[in-house]
Amino acid sequence: MQMHNQAPPTSGPPGLFWANKWLTKVEDLFALAAALCIFFLMFLGIGQVLGRQLFNTPFMGYIDLVELSMATFAFLAVSYCQRLGGHVRMDLFVRMVNGRARWILEFVTTIAPLILVGLLIYFSWGHFMRAYESGDSTIDLQYPVWPSKILVPIAFVVLFLRLLIETIGYWRLVLNPDSEPFAVPLILTEEDLAKKEIEDSKGSTDRG
Amino acid sequence: MDSFTIGIIGVVGLVAMVFMGMRVYLAAALVGTLGLIAIIGWESGLGLVGTIPHSKAVTYTLSVLPMFILIGFLAFHAGITESLFDAGRKWLGWLPGGLAVATVAAATGFAAVSGASTATAAVFARTAIPDMLKYGYSPILAAGVVAAGGTLATLIPPSAILVIYAIIVEESVGALLVAGFLPGIVSALIYVLLIIGMAKFNPSLGRPLTGFTWGERMKSLPGTFPIFLVVVIIFTAMYEGWATPTEAGALGASVVFVMAMMKGMKVASLRDALMETAKLTVMIFSIIWGVLVFVRFLGFAGLPDAFAKWVVALPFEPIYILIGILLFYAVLGMFMDAIGMLLLTLPVVYPAVIALGYDPIWFGIIVVKMAEICLITPPIGLNCFVVNGVRPDIPLNKVFRGVGPFFVADVVTIAVLIAFPQIVTWLPQMMNMG
Repeated sequence: MQMHNQAPPTSGPPGLFWANKWLTKVEDLFALAAALCIFFLMFLGIGQVLGRQLFNTPFMGYIDLVELSMATFAFLAVSYCQRLGGHVRMDLFVRMVNGRARWILEFVTTIAPLILVGLLIYFSWGHFMRAYESGDSTIDLQYPVWPSKILVPIAFVVLFLRLLIETIGYWRLVLNPDSEPFAVPLILTEEDLAKKEIEDSKGSTDRG
Repeated sequence: MDSFTIGIIGVVGLVAMVFMGMRVYLAAALVGTLGLIAIIGWESGLGLVGTIPHSKAVTYTLSVLPMFILIGFLAFHAGITESLFDAGRKWLGWLPGGLAVATVAAATGFAAVSGASTATAAVFARTAIPDMLKYGYSPILAAGVVAAGGTLATLIPPSAILVIYAIIVEESVGALLVAGFLPGIVSALIYVLLIIGMAKFNPSLGRPLTGFTWGERMKSLPGTFPIFLVVVIIFTAMYEGWATPTEAGALGASVVFVMAMMKGMKVASLRDALMETAKLTVMIFSIIWGVLVFVRFLGFAGLPDAFAKWVVALPFEPIYILIGILLFYAVLGMFMDAIGMLLLTLPVVYPAVIALGYDPIWFGIIVVKMAEICLITPPIGLNCFVVNGVRPDIPLNKVFRGVGPFFVADVVTIAVLIAFPQIVTWLPQMMNMG
C-alpha cells in the first residue's frame, strides 16, 4: 500500500536537519493555502447555487474563479504529500529487501524523478511565460491566467527540494545502512496503516 | 526504432519502475516524458509535457473531487454514524442477525457521505462491534460485516473513484455517480440476504433484537436526516441537472459542515479535516496529470488502438476476455491502491473493453466493485487490518474468516451485475446520460 510517514526528526546531520526544518514550514504553508482554497470553493459553490436558484442571478465568472483557484489544491500541496508519503506507490518488493539493498532501491527511485521534476520546472515555467507575455485571460470575466499557471513551477520547485532532501537522506543510508533514517518517508506495516486510518476517522465527538 | 516499439518499452519500463516502488505519479510522468522525447523529439516532447499538468488538472470537472473528499472527512465529525446505527437497529433489529443487518444498512447510509472504505470500516468498528458483542453476536460475524460493509462506500455517491474513472475515460461524471447507486444498494441487499440466511441456519451467530415500539423507531429517524438531505441534493442535482457535480458537492459538504459545527467540532478538527482533504486531493491530482503525460505518450505510440484490435481478434467469447480482465484486476488490486491501479491500467484496458462491445459506464461500476473486493482479501485487505486495529481482541485471522462469506457475496454481486447490466445502466439511461 501507499501510505508512509516521515521518520521523526530526532537526529540527523545538521545541514539536512536545517533544510528539512525550513522546507517543512514552506510545505505546511502551501498545504494550508490549498486547504483554505478548498474551503473557499465550498462557499463559492453554495453562493453560486443560491444565487442562481433563489435570486436568478448566477454569479458571473464562477467557472473562471473555480478554475483559477484550482491550481492551488491541484499542485501547491504536492510536496507536503510527498513528505508525508501520501502519494500512491506499490511497496510490495521494497518491503521484501532489507538493509542497504532497500536504501539503494529507494535512492534510485527518488533520484530519477528528481531529474524529471527539474525539467518540469523549466518547461512549466515556459508555459507560464507564454500566458504572461500574451496576456492570456479567462473567457467570462477576463481574469489573467498567469497567476494560476505560475503556481505549477513554484510547486515543482518545492517538490524538487523535497526530493533532493530525500535523495540525500537515502544516500546517507546507502553509505551507512545502520544509521537512523532521517528526512525520508518510512514504510508502514498494515498495522500502522490501519492505525492511521482509525486515527483519521475519529470525529471530534469521539475524541472529546 | 518505430514508435510502437518505443511504446512497448515504455510500458515495460513503467511496470518495472512501479514494481521498484517509485511513486506512481512520478513513474508515469517520467516514462511518459522519456517516451515523448523519443517519439517527437526533445524540444516538442518537453514543451508538450510542460503544458500537461496545468492544462489537464485545471479543468472545472475535476473541481468536484475536493468537495466529495471534504464531505467524507467532515462526516466523521458530524456524529451521524451513531444515529444511523441506532435507527438501523430499531428498524431492522428484529431480523435474524438483526444487528449485523443494521450495520449493513447504516454503512450503506454512511456511504452517502463517504467515499472511503477503510475509514467507514473504522467508524463502524467503533460503533457497531461493541453493540453486537454486547448482544452475544459472534465476533467473527461482527468483524466480517464491518470490514465488508465499509466497501459499500465507494459505489454509492459521493465517490471520488467513480469521478476519476469518468474523467479518465471521458464519460459523464453525473452518469457514473448515478449509475453507482443501484449496484451499491444491490450489494448491500445481497449482504443482508447472506446475513439473514446465515443467522437462520445458525441462530447462535446473532439473535434478533425485538421490543422496540413504533414511537422509538420514529424518534430514531431525525438524527439520520442530514444523510437523506445529502443524498437528495446529490441525486436530484445529477438527475434534474439543477447543479453541477461541484456545486452539489459544495452543498453536501456544507450540510455536513453545519452538522459537525452543531456537534461541537473544534477549529483544530476543522483544520485537520481540511488538511487531510488537501493531502488526498493533491495525491489524486498528481496521479491524474502524471498518468495523462503517460497517456499522451501511449497515444503517440498507437498502443491503446493496437491492444484493442488484438483483444477483439482473440478467438474467445467477449465474456471470457472480460472475466480474464477482471481476474487481472483482482490480482493487481491485492497489491495496489484502487485509484493508482485504475489510472495506470485504464488507458490501455478501457479501449479494448469498449471494442468488445461493453458499456463504458457499466464497466466502470464493475471495475470499481472489483477494486473494493480487494480491500477485504488477503494479503493486504486493509479493511480487515483496520477492524483488527480498532478491536485488537478480535484476531486478524478471525476477521479474515468473517469476511469470507461476504467475499462470496461480492462475487455473486459481480455475477448479477454481469448478468443484468440494466441494474447499472437503467438509471443513467432514464436521465438520458448514458
